[in-house]
Amino acid sequence: MTQERQTLLDSLPSSFDTGPRWLRSLRVRAADVLRERGLPNKKTEAWRFTPVRSVVDREFAHADTEAPRLASSAPDGVTVRSLRQVLEQEPALLEGRLAHGESEHFAALNTALFAEGLWIHVAAGVVVEEPLQLIHALPRTSEPGVSYPRVLLTAETGSEATLIETYVGEAAEQLTNSVVEVELGPNAKLDHVRVHENAGLQVGRVDVRQEADSSYRSVVVTLGGALLRFDVRVLLQGQGAECRLDGAYLVDGDDHVDHHTLVEHKAPRCRSDQTYRGIASGRGTAVFDGIVVVHRDAQKTEAHQENRNLLLSETATVHTKPHLEIDTDDVICSHGATVGSLDQSQLFYLRARGIPEELARAMLTYAFIERVVDEVAHEPTRDRLREAVLAVIPQGEAIRGVT
Amino acid sequence: MLKIEDLHVEVDGKPILKGINLEVNAGEVHALMGPNGSGKSTLAYVLAGRDGYEVTKGRVLYKGQDLLEMLPEARAAEGVFLGFQYPVAIPGVSNIYFLKAALNAIRKHRGEDPLDAIDFMKISKEKAALMQLPDELTKRSVNDGFSGGEKKRNEIFHMAVLEPALAVLDETDSGLDIDALKVVADGVNALRSSERAMLIITHYQRLLDHIVPDVVHVLIDGQIVRTGDKDLARHLEAEGYTEVRDAMQL
Repeated sequence: MTQERQTLLDSLPSSFDTGPRWLRSLRVRAADVLRERGLPNKKTEAWRFTPVRSVVDREFAHADTEAPRLASSAPDGVTVRSLRQVLEQEPALLEGRLAHGESEHFAALNTALFAEGLWIHVAAGVVVEEPLQLIHALPRTSEPGVSYPRVLLTAETGSEATLIETYVGEAAEQLTNSVVEVELGPNAKLDHVRVHENAGLQVGRVDVRQEADSSYRSVVVTLGGALLRFDVRVLLQGQGAECRLDGAYLVDGDDHVDHHTLVEHKAPRCRSDQTYRGIASGRGTAVFDGIVVVHRDAQKTEAHQENRNLLLSETATVHTKPHLEIDTDDVICSHGATVGSLDQSQLFYLRARGIPEELARAMLTYAFIERVVDEVAHEPTRDRLREAVLAVIPQGEAIRGVT
Repeated sequence: MLKIEDLHVEVDGKPILKGINLEVNAGEVHALMGPNGSGKSTLAYVLAGRDGYEVTKGRVLYKGQDLLEMLPEARAAEGVFLGFQYPVAIPGVSNIYFLKAALNAIRKHRGEDPLDAIDFMKISKEKAALMQLPDELTKRSVNDGFSGGEKKRNEIFHMAVLEPALAVLDETDSGLDIDALKVVADGVNALRSSERAMLIITHYQRLLDHIVPDVVHVLIDGQIVRTGDKDLARHLEAEGYTEVRDAMQL
C-alpha cells in the first residue's frame, strides 16, 4: 500500500484525540510550537551547519516500521513493555516520565507523532550483566518514509545496566527521527552504546536526567551517513552525579554527520567528561558542537570537554565548537578542540622502522579513533565495532591482523 | 657499507652540513662527536630520509646504492636503522604489534616469509630480556608514558629485533642515568658484529667508555674537523670543543 506523502510539518494532525489527557496536551503543545516556529533552517543557530532543508522540504510517507525490539528476552529485574500498551492500560505510570521537559524541532515532531515505542524498566538494585540490545533496522524500500522510534529507559535506584542501540540500514530515502529518554535514579548506572551504521537520514536525540550519585556513560560511534544529526543532552540534577560522553565519527564521500552535546550541571559536585574524535575524508562534513552549562548552584563542578579531528582530504570539512557557560565560581572546567592531519613525526618514526607509508597512515588513523571504541566495555560489541571501523577507514584492510 | 661524499644539506635555506666526507665499513663502530648545533642530528635524519632537509650537493652511498633516492621505509628494509634522540610516543599503536609489522615488512622486502605470532614472540621476548624491558612495556602503546631511559632501551630493543646492517644511534645516551647507560651500552655491544656497521652520535665521551669506537670524528659547524681513534674522544672530554675550535681557527 502506498501512503500519501507529505512534508513533515504537513503531517501534523489538526487535533489529537487518543491517549491520556496529559499526553494529548503534550502533543498539542509540541505541534503548536512546531507550527509557530517551524522546523529549523540555516538561520537556526544550533542547526547552522546541518543541511536540514533537504529533509524539511521533502515529502515522506509514514513508514510501516516495526517498533524497536530487544534482541533477546528481558533478563530478571528488567521489564520491557510497549509504550502504546502502557499508554492504553496504565497511562499514569508514564505521566511525568515520558516527554518530560521542553522539546522543539525534531524532538517535538517525535513527541507529537510517535505511535509506538518501548519502555525499559530496570528495577531498584538490579545489576544486569548482559547488555540490553536494541536494533533499529530501516525498512528495505525505495519509497521515502519517516519513522519515529521512541524509547524510555528508567533505571531505578542502585541498578546497573548496559543498553546497546544499533541503527542500521541501506535505505537512503528513509528518515529516522528518534528520541530516547533516560532516567537514572539515585546511584543508578547506565552504559549506553549507540551505533549508527550507514543509517540513511537520521535525526536522533538522547535526553538523560540524572539523580544523585548516578553514572551515565555514553559511547556513540557513527560510521558515515548521508545526513545524520545526533544530540545528547544530559541534565545533572542530583548531587555527585557523573556522566561521560565519548564519540567517534567517520565521514567520507558526501556524508554529513553532526554531533551535538549539551550537559547541564544543575547540582553541586557533579562531574562530566566528553571526548569526541572524528575522521573526515572525501568530501565529507563533520560537525561537533558541545555545550557545558554550569548553573549557579552547581559548586564544585568538574567538567571537561575535548574534540579532536583528523582531516584526511582537502575537500573534507570539519566544524567544531566546544563551549562552556559558567555561572558559578568554584569549578574546574576545561575544553579544547583540534583539527589536524596525521602527525608527521609519528609517520616518519613508523616509516623509518620499515612500515610502508600507506600502512603507517592506516595505523595512525585507526589508532586515533580506536581509543574511543576501546571505551565500549562489552567485548563482542567492541570487537564488532573495531571491524566496522577498519572496514571504513582508508586502507583499513591493510592493518587487519596488524593491530 | 656507508660512504658519504661531500654532503651539503640545508634546512629552510640555511646551510647545516657543509661538505661531510665519511666512510664506515662493515664491522666498524664510528663515533661522531660535536657540540650542540654542529649538525649531528641533521646527518642522522638525512641518512634515515626525513622530510625538510635539502641536499644541495654531494651523495650518500649505502652498499653501493644511492641512499638519498630511497624512501625511509625502503632504507629500513635495506638494513638502515636510526635510533632516535627523541623517540616519539604513538598512543594507540601497540609497541609489539608495530615492531612485528616492521619486521615482517622488512622480511617481505627481502623475499622472506612473515614470522607468525609465536615465532615473533620468541624473538621479542629474548631481546626484551636483553634490554631489561618489562613485558608490560613491550605491549603498551609505542613510547607512550615511557620514561626517558625506557624510551632509549626501547630503541635498542627495536634494533635488536630488526637486526639492521647499519645502525645510526642519535644521542642514545642523552637523558640516561649511569645504570640505564650501562644497559643500553651492553645492548649495543651485543649487536656488534663483523657484518654490521654503527655510527654512534654523541655529545659526551661517557657513552664511549662503554661502547669503544674504532674511529672518532669531530663535527663542528657542519664539517668533520678531526678524525682519530678512541683517544680523540678522551682528549675532547678533557679539553672541550673550544680547544678544537681554537686550534682549527674556526
